[in-house]
Amino acid sequence: MRYFAALTILFMSFATMASASEAPLLADLVSSGKLPPVAERLPEVPRVMQIDESTQRTPGKQGGTIRMLMADPKDIRMVTVYGYARLVGYNSSLELQPDILLSYENDRYRVFTLHLRPGHKWSDGSPFTAEDFRFQWEDILTDPDMDRGGLDAVFLAGGKPPKFEVIDPLTVRYTWETPNPLFLPALAGTRPLDIYSASAYLKQFHAKYADPDKLAAEVAKEKVKDWQSLQIRMARSYRPENPDLPTLQPWVNLTAPPSNRFVFQRNPYYHRVDQNGVQLPYVDELVMNIAESSIIPAKTGSGESDLQERYLSFTDYTFLKEGEDRNNYKVRLWTVGRGSAVALFPNLNTTDATWKEVFRDPRFRRAISLGIDRSQINQVLFSGLAKESASTVLPGSPLYRDELGAAYSQYDPDAANALLDEIGLKRSPNGTRLLPDGRPMDLIVESTGESSMEADVLELVTSDWKDLGIKVFTRTSQRDIFRSRVAAGSTLMSVWAGVDNGAPTADFSPQEFVPTDPYQLQWPMWGTYVSTHGTAGEKIDYPPAEKLVDLYQDWLLAETDADKRKIWGEILDINAQEVFSIGIVTATLVPVVISNNLMNVPVEGISSFDPYGYFGVYEMDSFWMKNAAGGN
Amino acid sequence: MTLPQNATSLPHTVTDAPFDPEAIYHYTDAQKALFEASQLRLMWWKFRRHKPALVSAIFLGLLYMSILVSEVLAPYNLHSRHSDSIYAPPQSLHLFHNGELRAPFVYGYDFKLNMENLKREYVPNTEKIQTIRWFCSGDDYDFWGVIPATFHIACPAEGGSLFLLGTDRLGRDVLSRIIYGARISLTIGLLGVGVSLVLGIVIGGMAGYYGGLFDVISQRLIEVIQSIPSIPLWLALAAILPITWSPIFVYFGITVILGLLDWTGLARTVRSKLLALREEDYVSAAQVMGASSFRIVSRHLIPGFASHLIATATIAIPTMILGETTLSFLGLGLRAPITSWGVLLTEAQNINAVALYPWLLWPVLPVILVVLAYNFLGDGLRDAADPYK
Repeated sequence: MRYFAALTILFMSFATMASASEAPLLADLVSSGKLPPVAERLPEVPRVMQIDESTQRTPGKQGGTIRMLMADPKDIRMVTVYGYARLVGYNSSLELQPDILLSYENDRYRVFTLHLRPGHKWSDGSPFTAEDFRFQWEDILTDPDMDRGGLDAVFLAGGKPPKFEVIDPLTVRYTWETPNPLFLPALAGTRPLDIYSASAYLKQFHAKYADPDKLAAEVAKEKVKDWQSLQIRMARSYRPENPDLPTLQPWVNLTAPPSNRFVFQRNPYYHRVDQNGVQLPYVDELVMNIAESSIIPAKTGSGESDLQERYLSFTDYTFLKEGEDRNNYKVRLWTVGRGSAVALFPNLNTTDATWKEVFRDPRFRRAISLGIDRSQINQVLFSGLAKESASTVLPGSPLYRDELGAAYSQYDPDAANALLDEIGLKRSPNGTRLLPDGRPMDLIVESTGESSMEADVLELVTSDWKDLGIKVFTRTSQRDIFRSRVAAGSTLMSVWAGVDNGAPTADFSPQEFVPTDPYQLQWPMWGTYVSTHGTAGEKIDYPPAEKLVDLYQDWLLAETDADKRKIWGEILDINAQEVFSIGIVTATLVPVVISNNLMNVPVEGISSFDPYGYFGVYEMDSFWMKNAAGGN
Repeated sequence: MTLPQNATSLPHTVTDAPFDPEAIYHYTDAQKALFEASQLRLMWWKFRRHKPALVSAIFLGLLYMSILVSEVLAPYNLHSRHSDSIYAPPQSLHLFHNGELRAPFVYGYDFKLNMENLKREYVPNTEKIQTIRWFCSGDDYDFWGVIPATFHIACPAEGGSLFLLGTDRLGRDVLSRIIYGARISLTIGLLGVGVSLVLGIVIGGMAGYYGGLFDVISQRLIEVIQSIPSIPLWLALAAILPITWSPIFVYFGITVILGLLDWTGLARTVRSKLLALREEDYVSAAQVMGASSFRIVSRHLIPGFASHLIATATIAIPTMILGETTLSFLGLGLRAPITSWGVLLTEAQNINAVALYPWLLWPVLPVILVVLAYNFLGDGLRDAADPYK
C-alpha cells in the first residue's frame, strides 16, 4: 500500500509537467481538441520507467521513425514481441514485474489477484477494465459456441480449470485448487496467454451481443464461414492484422495486410512514462518494410534499417561491419539465448528396434558426444567466439554449473572408441562398426536444411564420427515433414538447436528438459504420452526419463524457490549424465545493426524469442532517435 | 505388235570404244566425292565450316575427357579441408621472383584474423616461395571411387598451399571442386535426355506412322503424363529413394524417371512431323516398292527431320545442367556433400560471397561456357543436318 501511495505522489508531482511535453505527432490533434491532453490519456498511476545513468541509458525525446526489415507480412507480430507490454513482464534480469497491471497478489501459486491501473485506456480511448477479462474468459475462452476445443493447457492445473471472479471493476481473480506455477510466466510470455481483450470493440462480432443482421452482414463482408471465425480474425492481438482493434501495446498498426510496408504509430494512451513524465514510447513510428529474407543482410548493410537483428546471421558480420562508416550504423554482437546453437538428438523412440537398443545405452550417447571435435567446429564456423558445451542451460543462467557444460563435451576419440568397444559394437574390415544385428552403422541424421550452419556442422561431425566407425548420412526434408517424421519415430537422429530458453531461472518451467511435448526430438513418443495424459504415444520405459517426469511433477507442486532450484538442479544433472541431446556449441553470436541515430539500445544483450522477446525485455519503448527529423 | 511384211531391220552398230559417262560434262574429283558422299559425310563437311560449332565441339570434348581423370587434374582432394585457410583468396601464379625467371610458383599467405570485423586477412608473403610440384604425389584419393592413389599433375609445395581460385568457408580448394563438379554437372543430364529422346522418337514415330488405335492411346497417355505436376513428383521421389544410396544414384534415378516423363513433348513433335511426311510422294514410292515400315521410318522419314531432333537434344542438355542448378536451389536436386557446379553456386548464393569472397562465384564461368558451347554445337549440327539447305 505504501508503494501505491509513493507512486501516487510521484505521479502527482509530474502530472503537471507531463502536460507540457506532448509528442510532436499528437500535438496538433490535441490542440485541435480531437485528442485529450496527455495527462488525461495516461492512467492515474502510469508505470514509471527509470531511464537514466542508473540503467545505462539516457532520457530521450519524443519523435522519429525506426525502420526495420522483415521477410513476411506475418512478421508484424514482431512489433508485439518487441513492444512487450504484458500484464506482468520480465525485466532484463528476468525478474517478474507488474507492467500493465498495477500490482498482483500470488497466494501459493493457487490464487492470483490482478489489480488494474485506474484510468487505463485502450488505444482508442475506451476504458480497460475487469469487463475485458470477463469477456475473454466467459465469452471467448469458455463459451461453448466459440468451439475452441478446450482450454489451453496452461489454464489447467491438475487437469482442472480455474475459478474466475470479478472482484470489482479494477480487480479480477483466478483460483486453482492445486498450484499453477505456469500461469504468470504465460502472461509474461513473448507470445502471451490472452486473458483479456478489447471487449467494447469485439462485442460487435459476438452473437451474444451483436445485432444478428449486422453480424451476418459483417460475416459476408469479410467472406468468412461464420461469426466465430469473424471474431477470431478481428480479435487477433498477437499478430495485429486488424488496424481497428484497440491495443495496449506501445505502437498501433495502421496498415491492413496485404502490404509490403507496415506503419505502426505510437499508442496515445500507452501506460508507461519516463521519470520525467514524458510519455513513452519515445519513437513516434515504426515502419516495417517487407523484403526477401536472403536480401535483408544486403539491405541492412546499405543502411535501410535502423534496428535489425532478425534475418541476420553471424556469417554476415564481416559484411555488415564494412558498411558501418558509410551508412552510419554500428554492428553489435548479441549472444544467442538458446541452450545450444546446434545439437544432435538421438531418437529414443525410433521404430528401428536395433538402433533403439543402441541409443538407449547411455555409453553410446556419451561416446558419440566425446567423439566430436567441438573446438574445431568453433574455430571454423564461429571464429572461436562461441563456447563449446554440452546441451544444457547457458552460463548466464543462475542454474548453470561448469560441470553441466563440460559433461562429455571434451574431445576424446580414444575414450569414445573404448566405450563403443565396451558396448560390443565390432568393426567390420572396412572400419565401419556393425550393429548387433550385423548391419553397418549407417546413421541417418535428419535436418530441415534451413540453415547452412547445420549442414556445415554435420559435415565436420561426419568426419569426426568416421573415426569412431560410424558413417553419417544427412537427409533433408521440409520442416513440417521433418517434424511429423520425428514424431512417427521413423528417424534415427535429428539436428536442431538446443532448448529455446537457454538462461532460465528456477521460476521457469523445466519442461524442455523433460518428456512433455510431442515435438521433442529425443523422445517424441514419451512427450506425446505425457502431454496427452497417456491417451497417445508410448509409456516411458526408461528409468532416467521416468525420473525426469516425476521431478517435473514435483516442480509443478513446489511452493518455495529453494525447492524449485533443487529440482531444476537434479533435472539438469540427469540430462548431463544421460546426454539425451548432444550439444555442440553454445553462446553463439548474432549481429544486431543499430543506427547511430538510435539511442538506448544495449551494446550487449541476449537474442532470444522467449522469454527475452529480442528487444522486448530491453524496453524498446525507451529507444529514441537523436535526430528525429533526418531519416537516416 | 508385229512388223510390216516388207520391212527390214534397221542397220545398227555396237561400238567397241569405252563408254565415258562424263563425255558431255566432266566432273572433278571433288564433285565426284560430293555426289557419292554418304549423308554423314555431308553433314561433317557442312559442320566443319561452322567455326563456332567446331570450337565448341573441341571444347566440350576436352571437358568430357577431363572428367575421366578429375582426381589427377585437381591439385586437392574434393573433401580436403584446411582449417587454417578458410576463405583464402586466389593465389596468383608467378614466374618471376625479383626479376628472375623461376619454375611456376605461388607466394604463401600470412594469415591474421582481424578481431575488429572478424575478417580473415591473407597477405602474400614474398619470402615464402612455394614452387609448384609437377607429376607428384599429394592428397590421397580413390580413383573412380575404387583405386587408392596419390598421383596428381600438379601439387602444392611441401607444407605450402596452391589455391589458384581461393577456398570456401571450410577451407576447401575452389578449383579442385570445380574440376570434380564437372564430373556430375556434365553427365547428369545425358542419361535423362537419352531416355526421353529414345522414347519420344519411338512412341511418337509409331503414333505418327501407324495412326489409328495406337495413336489414340498414346496421345491420351501423353495427356495424362503431361498433367502430372513435376515439382511434387520430385519431392515424392526425393523422399522414397533410399538415403543410403549414394546421393548421385538418387539423382541419377530421379533424372531417369524425369526422362521417362519428359518424352511427351518430343513424341508429339515427332508424331506431327511424321503425319506430314508420310503423305509425301517418296514415302508412297517406298511403300510401292515394298519397303518395310521400319525401313521407311528410319531411312526416309527420320532423316527428314533429324535436324529438329538434334536441336532438341543439344538444347535439352544445357537445360538439364541449368535445371540441376535450379533444383539444387529449391533443395530438391543435388546437395552437399555431392559437388556439382550447381551445388557450388548455391553455396555462393549470398551477399557475403558477392561482397567479400567473389572467387566463390567462379563456377559460374564453366556453366556459362558449357551452355554456350552446347548452343553453338546444336546450331552447327542443325545447319549440317538440315537437308533443305
